[in-house]
This record gives sequence, structure tokens and C-alpha cells, in this order.
Amino acid sequence: MVKELQKKVRELFEDKKVDMVVGWGKGSVPMSATPLFIKSIDEVDDLIFDETCQNNLAVYFTKDKRKLSKDGKKVGVIVKGCDDRSLVLYSIEKQIKRDDIVIIGVPCDGVIDKNKILRKTNNREVIEYNCDEKKVKVKGRDFELTLDKKDVLSDSCLTCSYPDAQVYDEFIGKARKKVDCKDEFKKVDDFEKLSLDERWNAITEEYSKCIRCYACRNVCPSCYCTKCFVDTNKPQWIGKSPEITDSIIFHLIRNLHVAGRCVECGACARACPVGIDLLLLNKKITKEINQRFDYTAGLDIDEKPVMTTYCENEKQDFIMG
Amino acid sequence: MKDWQPKILAILCNWCSYAGADLAGVSRLQYPPNIRVVRIPCSGRVDPLFIMKAFQTGYDGVLVSGCHPGDCHYLSGNYFARRKFAVLKPLMEFIGVEPDRLQFSWVSAGEGERFSKVVTKVTDDIKKIGPIKKMVKGD
Amino acid sequence: MIIKINKNKFDKFFKILKGNYDVFAPIGDGMNSKFSRVKSIKEINLDISNTDKSPKEIFFPQTEILFNFESQKINLNAEKNKSFAVWGMRPCDAKSLTLIDKIFGSAKQKPNDENFEDPYWKSKYDDALIFSIGCNTPASTCFCNWFESGPFEKIGSDIFVVNTDEYYLMEAVSEKGKVFLKKVTDFEKGIKKDEEKITELKKRAESYLKKSVDLKALDNVIEEIWGNPVWDELSNKCINCGACTFICPTCHCFDIQDEGKEKAGKRIRLWDSCMFPDFTGEASGHNPRLLSKDRFRQRFMHKFKYFPDNNDDYLCTGCGRCIYVCPVNVDIREVVEKIVKCES
Repeated sequence: MVKELQKKVRELFEDKKVDMVVGWGKGSVPMSATPLFIKSIDEVDDLIFDETCQNNLAVYFTKDKRKLSKDGKKVGVIVKGCDDRSLVLYSIEKQIKRDDIVIIGVPCDGVIDKNKILRKTNNREVIEYNCDEKKVKVKGRDFELTLDKKDVLSDSCLTCSYPDAQVYDEFIGKARKKVDCKDEFKKVDDFEKLSLDERWNAITEEYSKCIRCYACRNVCPSCYCTKCFVDTNKPQWIGKSPEITDSIIFHLIRNLHVAGRCVECGACARACPVGIDLLLLNKKITKEINQRFDYTAGLDIDEKPVMTTYCENEKQDFIMG
Repeated sequence: MKDWQPKILAILCNWCSYAGADLAGVSRLQYPPNIRVVRIPCSGRVDPLFIMKAFQTGYDGVLVSGCHPGDCHYLSGNYFARRKFAVLKPLMEFIGVEPDRLQFSWVSAGEGERFSKVVTKVTDDIKKIGPIKKMVKGD
Repeated sequence: MIIKINKNKFDKFFKILKGNYDVFAPIGDGMNSKFSRVKSIKEINLDISNTDKSPKEIFFPQTEILFNFESQKINLNAEKNKSFAVWGMRPCDAKSLTLIDKIFGSAKQKPNDENFEDPYWKSKYDDALIFSIGCNTPASTCFCNWFESGPFEKIGSDIFVVNTDEYYLMEAVSEKGKVFLKKVTDFEKGIKKDEEKITELKKRAESYLKKSVDLKALDNVIEEIWGNPVWDELSNKCINCGACTFICPTCHCFDIQDEGKEKAGKRIRLWDSCMFPDFTGEASGHNPRLLSKDRFRQRFMHKFKYFPDNNDDYLCTGCGRCIYVCPVNVDIREVVEKIVKCES
């Protein structure tokens, strides 16, 4: 598959259809890949795609990186299903011109969450890593482990309904449409069954780990405000220290800012250096939006995002009668 | 504890609910004195951040009130607000904040009586729950 | 002289330590391991090669109250704690504290210059007893050997510990360490065989490390490198989150904020990161480090140029945390290697 991908990218360069391609290369440590910016045909050989390619590359088209697709340059970008939804979102929100970007879809079977693997190895370092369709083999200095791949897949991939790009220019292989995903909201449903106090305690325990490094915000393709509300100081809305209520407010507001725009790529949760389960709140919002407005972010390039539109006669059971 | 009175932030839109509160006042209608009113141009202006900030600084409850659907001075502000609340309300409950602490209502400029009823209900609800403990920033 | 503590008698040693000090040690497994106050040896996890969060937070917490104020009254936060002892610190982390000490406790290095002494840091760090423990199996991300250091480096340590199968072999490095070890009487003394064991473990540990990059070559190019286009290429993938700086044992930049209600409040000091645009944002709205590239460059220039210029040492100890934690796999080793190869 990687060979086909490289061949396709090479062709695009030869046909002068792209000036640059954003993809993944091999990372410097086991179980990791790194974003790769390919500017010429000689660099195409560095391109890879496998279950370690966890970054959402759409992020490189906004924020400080906006310059990438400027000056009428054609940029190719290699996408998984979720990354593609981010690009669709960008296109709807006029962050990119669809015509300036060549979307190259690759078939995705989920990406691994290296923190899950480290939990299984008791935090002992992994030096060698191998993965086939079902099993993941890891080796350290004094241990060897074989794990089920589904046990170490990122949470977001376990509940993914659109593993492949839906809007694309090229696709390596055949793109799947929606796949059935049972129990998409199981975690949310289970959490809802807890009592109010249990939920509050669980949330405070989880978010008290936050060190406010903003890795979640910065890897998030949907989070691209020029100035984030936590960075404003006139007025300064929330404290900058990792005090629990400040941290919770930061995360809640971030979740609300990406409500109906979150493509559930899970990049935030994988980027978190202290391993907070960041997807839970996003998933809850997605559930509400799915049920109430029957909307899924980043699928239809012509549909308005759910929070920027309205319906006059929609249900308003949450408003006092 | 017996003497405890809840402090409630009422965020009211300029064109309907604030005028409704005004009408309640000039009509000499009674309602509990627990609310502190902030007037905003439109319920669509309400950023969820205002609400969380209120809880963080120790308000026991928040009431957001705007024009009835279809009556918005800016035509559609309250429709957008409604979508925001549709997500915000379940989310606050999801993280464990008592649902009655955060309430929304539509009150028009002519509904002084409704305004006093709404405030009475919200105050009673919050009195039942007691002082806020979650979301409050310590010293 | 080596003191030899059988691991099944460690409880007894720990009691002596706890009697004299407030003890910190690595805790947690998998995710979110860190140094924390421990009450019993059951909590301690020495298998962690490098804790996820660095031990700098013991002496330089992420949020620290400088003083409280109420109306016109100011209460300095100068409570004197029981002295800290840190058990099980890695040599790279122990060394990193000496680097931060060059900033916050500068009087030690520059006896006539007391201007930059930080009382909050000094009150914790100066009396602390640091047990650093030799790394028997350095991780693949470790590169302490780049900095004339290694897995058995003793700089910054008061008592150096070697972890063998059966024993903890302890050797006093500093005066403080000697004083403490004198209190620990009824344990075995090390013999020549133990010294041989230490040399053997040290050799083995060093063999795990990859070859060091010639940092002299870096010093030669770094003067001229500032405007080089290589920074564009290197910083392309950086997304400017602060993860690397917050888990770094040497990064020490901070912000000061006032937090409070009507009449009372507190002034706090909290970690800041050169990765954030706010870090250099000016009141006028101008930001001298506006671009991702500028901030990225600052982090490396500070570590490999500005800090060495002022303090004769690199602001990096090769712990490798940032390599592992980076969401986009920016590898500090690769960055340095690429700069070295760069023609100025």
C-alpha cells in the first residue's frame, strides 16, 4: 500500500499537479510517525502510512501554518477518514480553497495510542515494535509482549464510522463509505448512569491532571482561533494556572467551541502528555448533536455547520415552559 | 445555613426579558430579591463562558432569558442561542453540575407576571439544591 | 565509603530518612508518573526510567503563591517546611536542578552577586537531600552522554545510589550527604566487590547509549545560525504547544499573575512557555516572536546558545522527555544534528 501511495505521489509531482505534499514519515522513536513536508520528488521515498500515523495533518492548514497553501500553490495532503473531515470543515469555514488542495485518501484501519501500549508494558520502554492485522508485538530490553491490536487502538478509532475519506481527489485502493459502529456512545451512556456527584468526582479527578500545556488545543484541527480565549488578558477570562476549576472551564469551553465541528480524530487525547481522557466530553456533545440535529461534522461540503444555522420549530425541552 | 439565600445571576436580553423585568417592577409584582441582573443586547450574545464564570465566582444559579422564538429583535439571535443551550445544558449536567442551577426561559416585554413566576421558580429550585460547591474556585 | 543496604531492610532506612526529611519519590505507573510526597515505600516505583513529569516541580512548582494580600496587608508566603529529601532521582534530573540553580540561586556561583537570588527556590533547594540513582538501563531516548555526563553522573547529587539486584549501594557525594550517611549506622559497609559491581553496571549502562554528537561543532555554527532558513524546515511540523517545556527538567521560565476577589487575593508565579505567543506579546500588540518558527528557534537557542553564553553549560541534560512527549515527534537530537550539519 505504501508503495502505491509513493507511486501516486510521484505521479502527482511529475504531472505538476502538486508543489508540495504533506504526509507522514517514520518517527525517531518506536511506535511513532512524524509529519513530513515533501517538496520534491526525491523525498517521496520517505513517505509511509501505517497505524502509527496518528497526527491529523489538516492542522497544518490553519493557525501559524496557514502559509502552507498560500500563493496559489497546490498542496497535496494525505488523509485518513477523520483528517478528511477536517479538510471538509475547513472548506466549509473558508479556511482553505478546495481547489488549492489535492486530497489523497488512504485506507485506515485505526491508529495506535502509544500510551495504551505503555500501560500494558508497565511503562517499560519499547525498543522494537511490529504490527500486523490483528496483533501488535513489542519488545523491550527485558520483555516481549504480544497484544491484541484492538486493545491498543486509539479510543477515537474504536468508535469511528468513517475510516476512509468521503471527499477526495485520489484514493489508494477503494474508499469505504460509512461503516457500522456499534456502541459508538457506550462510554458516554455508561458515564451518564453515574450519579451527579460520582460524575463530578470522576471529571475533577481526570482534569486535575491537566498541566495546561495546550497540546490538545494546538493539535486540534477545529481549534484555530487567532487568539484563544485563554490567551486573552483584557479581560482575562480564566486563570492561567492549572487550578481545577480553571482547567475544567478551559476544557469545557474548548469542547463547546468545537461543538458540531469536532471530527473525533482523537488527536487531542493522544497528544495529552498526562493522559487525560479528553474524548469523553467531545463524545457527549457529538451524541447530543447527532440525536437532536441529526448532524455529523465534516461530511457534506455544502452543509452549514450545525451551530451556525437553526430551524424555527426545533425541540426546546430544555427551556422552561 | 438557615439564613442562606441563593445568589442568582440573571442574564436578560435588552428587548424582551429585561423589559419584562421592568414591567414586573412597574406593575409592583413581587419576586424574590435573589437575582442580580446583567443586561445584554440579545440572548445570542451569551457566551457559555459567562455562565461558567458566574459559577466559578460563586453564583448559586444562572438564569438566561431572551425573546420568544420568532420575536428576536435581531430576527434570529435567540435561535442560535437555543442551539448553544441545547448542547451546554446537557454538558453541564454531564459533568455533574445540578441541572436546575442553569435555566433558560423566554420572557417577552409584555410578560411581567411571567417574569416574576420564572424568577420565583428558579429561586425555589436553587434553594432546594443548596449552595453551590462544584465549579467554585477556592481561595 | 559505600554503605550497603539490603533491599529487604530498606524499610528501616526509609524510616530514618522520613524521620529527618519530607520524602519525595517517583510514583505512578504507565501514565502520569511524577515525583510526589510518599509516606511508605510501597508507593515508590523505581522501575520508571524517567518520570513523565520532571522533579523540578518539587522545588519550582507549576503554581506557587508568592504572597497573599488583603486590603493593605501583605502576607509573604515564607513558611519554612521540613527539609525535602528526594529519593530515586535520575542523574540527568539531579544535574538539571544545578542548572536551574544557576538562575534562581545564583549567589552560590557568583558570591558577590546576590541580586538574583530567589528565596522561594532557595528555601526548598538549598537544604534538600538528593539521592540520585544510577540508570542501569537508559532508555533509547536518553542522550546524557552528549553533555559530558552519563547514566552514573554524580553532579547535583548528595548521595549517589547504585541499584543492584539485592542492594542499594550508597555513596556520599556532598557534605550534606556525608552528614546524613553518618546517621545511618547499623548497615553493612561496601567491599571491593561492590565497587567492581558499580564499575560493571556503569560500563554496561554507558554501552546502551548511542554515540554523542560533537557539540563543539554546534558551538561553531550556532553563532551564525540565527537567520538561517534551516529553521523554517525544522519548525514546519512544530505545533507550538507547551508540552516539551512543561515536562522539561531545565525549562524555568515563568509568568506572574494576580488572582483575587474584591479585597483579598494572591500573587502567584506559574510556569510559562516560550512556545506560547503570549510569552513575548507586548502591550502595544506587537509580538517580536510572532511566528511559530521564531518561538521554535528561541527554545533551542536558549538551550544551546544563550544559556551557555551566560552560564557555561547547556540548558539540557539529555533526559529525552521532550522526544517522547512531543505530539508531532520533534526530536531535539535531530534538530541539533541538522544544525551541526548546516553550513553557516
